Amino acid sequence: MSTYKDRYKSADDGMRFQDLVYQGNFKGMDPVPDGILGDKVLRQRAKSKVLEKVSKEDVLRDQFTVAELNDLNNYLAWNIWDVLVMRATEGVSGMIPRQEYEILAFMHEFYRWPEILEMTTNEVGAQGIIDIGASARREIGTKVNCVHDWCIGAVGFGMGRCGLLALEAIQPQDYVRESNIILKFMQRVLWGKRQDGYILNSQDRYRCKIHEKDILDKLVGQVEYFEPGSEKHDSLVRFNAAAELLSFLDHYDCRLGLGDTGPYELPDGKIMIIRDLFTNEEVYDWSDVCDHENVPHCYTLCLVIDPEKMNLSEIRVNDISTTFTRPKNYIEHIVGGAVFVREKWNTPMGEVYQVKISELDKRLEGIQQATFKLYTKFSRMSRRTLITNGMYVYYIDMILPHLRLAGTYEKACKDYEFWEIDQRVSNYYYDIVKRGFAQATVPQKIFSGEGYLPFPEDVSLNRSKYYWK
Amino acid sequence: MSYVAEGYNSFETKKTPSGIVKYLPDPKSVIALIQSGKLKEHILLVQGGTTTFLAPALSMGSIGVITMSGAPESHLGILSREFQMPCVMTAYLTDSDSRYVTGGNNDAHFAAIIKALEGKKVQLHCEDRETGRIAIVS
Repeated sequence: MSTYKDRYKSADDGMRFQDLVYQGNFKGMDPVPDGILGDKVLRQRAKSKVLEKVSKEDVLRDQFTVAELNDLNNYLAWNIWDVLVMRATEGVSGMIPRQEYEILAFMHEFYRWPEILEMTTNEVGAQGIIDIGASARREIGTKVNCVHDWCIGAVGFGMGRCGLLALEAIQPQDYVRESNIILKFMQRVLWGKRQDGYILNSQDRYRCKIHEKDILDKLVGQVEYFEPGSEKHDSLVRFNAAAELLSFLDHYDCRLGLGDTGPYELPDGKIMIIRDLFTNEEVYDWSDVCDHENVPHCYTLCLVIDPEKMNLSEIRVNDISTTFTRPKNYIEHIVGGAVFVREKWNTPMGEVYQVKISELDKRLEGIQQATFKLYTKFSRMSRRTLITNGMYVYYIDMILPHLRLAGTYEKACKDYEFWEIDQRVSNYYYDIVKRGFAQATVPQKIFSGEGYLPFPEDVSLNRSKYYWK
Repeated sequence: MSYVAEGYNSFETKKTPSGIVKYLPDPKSVIALIQSGKLKEHILLVQGGTTTFLAPALSMGSIGVITMSGAPESHLGILSREFQMPCVMTAYLTDSDSRYVTGGNNDAHFAAIIKALEGKKVQLHCEDRETGRIAIVS
């Protein structure tokens, strides 16, 4: 029997998915656990109302107060820990130097994004940014999704500022104005997408039920049902895994290629996850191998899961768009599915088409070929090239979908040299490999929460940084 | 049954794949294994818990993986679940107190595991919710 719906009762504290606890800036206080209880504790400790449901008027306001900035800083720091601390144990890749490219990207984003996000806000207005978030409610195969939207604040502001503080390149009182620009952009997109007053899935007991009913009804109507272990089940599962793998690889082993929403409860009690797998991102030159194998921009999979057969006790669609369940293995309890294709990022929704499960094996071959060719290509690249490419994946892709929809991507490239690497960050390339900075110091600062120093309470909201020492 | 090593279980499964342990140190060794056509004869032993390093092996149907770092929340943990491929993560030798330390120097720890497992025929046991186990098959 499933008990997962108990997690949605207000008094329920959820399950613990890990034994570790979080301390962060809450020194002298009880440590914070993961999951629903962690969210409750963070909200109890907040000094402002920014972590509760907020109104459109709040979202349209130009700036956060210092107290709101610090509450967001603390919450995002815990949220990053909540979704990533166990992943942080995975060590070196052996293929792609991910820790190195990640830390460079974090810092580059914090330096470069503010003026590009401000330009974009000026072009389309605050309401326009909210509308970009809202567009995800009527689309599948869109990168305006949890992980991209979360990354704006959690990565560009949170980890970027944390990395620069750890490098002692900046002080806690620096870049207040720029931090506000980044976080406001994030809040507007996420608020527009959710439209329930919250911005993060963790605030809503790890639910991301964003799609409009008519869109959901249309997708559900195209689901093919089957018995677990049947040929159709195996085909769908095989395809899901292979496409997900390619989406990871095309995005340099990061989560930007994957986007889950849900869980959507169906009338018969089953639940559905909608999963976008971005298998071919055209802005990357290495995606040419995906073009050669006719792999589309995105495959969207509707996965219908039987919570009763699974004895589902908790399901989390977390803020980096990834689904985790207890018990862990939901795959063998998938009882229905549908696959859709969006050929290009801007293919109109009316031209998105379905591929029957019986026809997936033909497409699987192209995915496997593209995966092997991409792997071979990466294996021949120098370490420097891999780090540079990985840094671009983070720095470009995390805000690419929002700039595309705002119509400001070309302007960012032309007038703001979006694809250029800041000289400061280029120089950091040599610093981050010294004394374990990328592999030990920054992960420790990020995952202990020690590195997210608060802004001074009396700092000016207009404060930037005008001198270097 | 006695187990030579154990670690985090990526997901619960009744599958008990067995094969000769092959340590894969670099992308060239992964490509060579794929091209040898003997992928399914081996349980793969790797250092990290990331997906990209093992991408073609996963795609072509590897039967089981042992990692020396990482967790079910790591990318490889997620993908092993999607592929329904048993995976024991952050494995350690049961007769040793040595454990993986995140961000630390684990060279000696890794070397001891590789020495104990490479070339041996093993079977993975992943029925338990949290712990995956590795048995030597005589």
